[in-house]
Amino acid sequence: MKKTKGCIWLVMPMYIFTLIFVAFPFLYMFLLSFMSRAKVWGVDFTFTLANYEKILDPLYLGTFVDSFKLAFLSTGIIVLLGYPYGYFMARMSEKWKKRMMLLIMIPFWTSALIRLYGWIIVFRSNGILDKVLTGIGLTDSPLKLLYTYPAVVVGMVYGLFPFMVLAVYSSAEKMDYRLVEAARDLGASSVKAFFTVTLRLTLPGLLSGVILTFVPSMGLFFIADILGGNKILLVGNVIQEQMTKGRNIPFAAAMSVILMILTSLMMALYRRVSGTTELEGIM
Amino acid sequence: MKKKKTFSGIYVAVLTIITYVPIILTVIYSFNESKSSVSWTGFSLKWYEELFRDREIKEALINSLILAGSSCFLAVVLGTLGALGIFKMLEKPEQYKAFAKINNVMGYISMLPIMIPEIILGMVFLAVFSFMDLPFGMLTLIIAHTTFCIPYVFSMVKARLVGMDKALAEAALDMGATPFQVFWDITLPLIMPAVLSGTMLAFAMSFDDVVISIFVTGAKVNTLPVKIYTKLKTGVTPEINALATMMLLVTLILLMISSILSKKWKKK
Amino acid sequence: MKKLLALLLTGALAVGSLTGCGGKEEKGELNLFTWDGMFPQEILDGFEEETGYIINYSNFDYDETMLAKLEETEGGEYDLVIADDYIIEVVIAEGLAQKLDTSKIATYDYLNPVFMSQFYDPANEYTVPHGAGIPLIVYDPTLTDVEITGYESLWNPALEDNIAITANYRVINGITLLTMGESMNTEDLDKIAAAGEKLKELAPNIRVINDSNTQDFILSGEAAVGFLYTSQVVAALMTNPELELVVPKEGLGFGIMASFIPSQAPNPDAAYAFLEYINRPENAAKCFEYLGYYCTNKAAEQYISEDMKRLLVLPEDAAAGEIIQNISVEAEDLHSKNWNEFMNACD
Repeated sequence: MKKTKGCIWLVMPMYIFTLIFVAFPFLYMFLLSFMSRAKVWGVDFTFTLANYEKILDPLYLGTFVDSFKLAFLSTGIIVLLGYPYGYFMARMSEKWKKRMMLLIMIPFWTSALIRLYGWIIVFRSNGILDKVLTGIGLTDSPLKLLYTYPAVVVGMVYGLFPFMVLAVYSSAEKMDYRLVEAARDLGASSVKAFFTVTLRLTLPGLLSGVILTFVPSMGLFFIADILGGNKILLVGNVIQEQMTKGRNIPFAAAMSVILMILTSLMMALYRRVSGTTELEGIM
Repeated sequence: MKKKKTFSGIYVAVLTIITYVPIILTVIYSFNESKSSVSWTGFSLKWYEELFRDREIKEALINSLILAGSSCFLAVVLGTLGALGIFKMLEKPEQYKAFAKINNVMGYISMLPIMIPEIILGMVFLAVFSFMDLPFGMLTLIIAHTTFCIPYVFSMVKARLVGMDKALAEAALDMGATPFQVFWDITLPLIMPAVLSGTMLAFAMSFDDVVISIFVTGAKVNTLPVKIYTKLKTGVTPEINALATMMLLVTLILLMISSILSKKWKKK
Repeated sequence: MKKLLALLLTGALAVGSLTGCGGKEEKGELNLFTWDGMFPQEILDGFEEETGYIINYSNFDYDETMLAKLEETEGGEYDLVIADDYIIEVVIAEGLAQKLDTSKIATYDYLNPVFMSQFYDPANEYTVPHGAGIPLIVYDPTLTDVEITGYESLWNPALEDNIAITANYRVINGITLLTMGESMNTEDLDKIAAAGEKLKELAPNIRVINDSNTQDFILSGEAAVGFLYTSQVVAALMTNPELELVVPKEGLGFGIMASFIPSQAPNPDAAYAFLEYINRPENAAKCFEYLGYYCTNKAAEQYISEDMKRLLVLPEDAAAGEIIQNISVEAEDLHSKNWNEFMNACD
């Protein structure tokens, strides 16, 4: 019984902090989504469902679909690129592990915004990529690479890639590689060994990586701004715009509530599909 | 086997190089004489001179360090303890039946800050802090940043604990070690990599946050990313490229110092 | 790695404790709240040196963020705010600004009356203008053969994927209304909806929508035509004088930035001192050359360098432009929906 108390005291500080500074503010947002917008700015505290009715407009429904598509595409690419990266990293020597960890973390210390601007230098007309492609005779200059859908995908993948690597690395690193060797000794092909042992053991990391990339990609409005030339309308952009220039906070709150519900459903689905109880703590 | 090693090495190397392309370009363009950042007009150090004269950027940098340091510290304490507690409860589900639901719900709520678009968090905090009558400034910034730092530490540590080999701890307990000894000698070293990577991630996120900070900062406190963001909005000045280059340089110098120190340590 | 982190943390804490106790109390502080890059460093330094006030320069990105902040602090925290005309109307209506005592601004008479007595402050009780803008079309004649005379030319199919525009939807919807012979401030929902339909036809021609540094897209050849804010027009033409400037025949949009003192400003005297300082003709000329907006200080015009004069001194006939004002909630909502539909149609 004594131990029982101990565990609760361990989690208490976090729970109290979370209740005051996360749960309460979100409750407030939920209430806001049922309020009316004030004449010019702010909130008029009268109940309405108009904000949710407005979301049913094909325009706004469409932005949800587009955002999900982009998030799926980006996450898919990140998994394909990041999973091997994180796994290979975990199999390196201790010395290299440390070095790679540093190489991944260093860019984080510069600004994400600045790194996106770096991509503009790469993609712009008469820019570096344009010159290289023209140089080897693949295209005629000038290309219009910037402010296109692929540019946004590159930005998303680039911005979120490290999250996947860190998550996969963290679970691949503690994996007991002898299990794979044992499976191979028992006659499993390398493919089979991968799917039955490696993938299963690194699944928690992979899933938490998916969560850490898919979820933020729904809301990274500034990537669509900077690399998409503002031409791709995502949920994040609508919310941001309604918060600021549109001056319709309750509608932005309603959009966010729906977005939150959708992302939560995704999480639930992941849990069902993967069948792991381990993930419960993460999400 | 050898072949595999080469392949994985090349794979990792190529992707890493690509990751660094925009950063290297930022560094190169910080020496560009032209202001418009469109074309290369010649080598110049004038943006560095401008940067060092800029007092606001200096203040903003200090603020950002204080902010990221404090919110990370809070997040490490709260997040690591939380993960340990929940893990302990998961180990003995029958004892903690009543808590299983609560833990699920609280785990979900604590993840919310990284689950939703940042702008909502910013706006919600702005409204709630004024409702709570908190003065806008460093305090509100630290609270807001701590909320989104906790999930990084918490989920990393939690994932590590779940995948941990329990046999070791159990064996130690069987051999008469106290729970505290077990924690200090076995659990802590095992979760340390996760605590560290969570902390570094949290530090980086806090140090880089724009959207939330804009909403919860006060008149007297500017953070570095807010300064950068507003500067980029009104004009991409190579001064900002110079700043990024300096940040990179400082990081590298700190790394070198720490590796030299650790080598000396080992020799002793 | 551990040590690096520890180093960073202790560094941060040490700095924290230092700044914590080292309070700088000289003559007081000026809490200035506006966009970044509104003043050259020289002016800020000069003011501090002369008056002994310390400037706390904090920034917002949108007028609306500023308003939210001001509402939450109930007009406190800041001594001087510079923002756009339409939002100042709201600020004054909500009682968040205080009446000015213009006798405390010795340089007040230098201001150009053309930019005063506007809708947001008809009796000039609350505000001091600080720059005005007219969005105009700039294009690179080497990149397109289309002859551009006004907004209507932007719809020319020959300009496919070749136009860069700013991201203020009231302005973009506004010029669409102007091409249809309507007012930018119409509250007629049918007309706004019709403008929305017309705006969607512009989508194929749009290369990029961007609020900041839109001139860069023209200068780099990313797009041939730009619809730009005044500061961007100035930057574009100063960098490349070969570019063509178009004053659209359909009529002009017009905007004024102005400063005001929030109702509960902690140190209004600092604000008065600053207003006095920046409106000295030589100083004002430096500010506007740096800022790239139309000079709102009559006496400063003679100090503006010759090559910038044509860009910074407002031509006599231009003041007839229409200022975007606050309109009904329904109309505003429709504008924002038009804009979202337009963005969606762009890609």
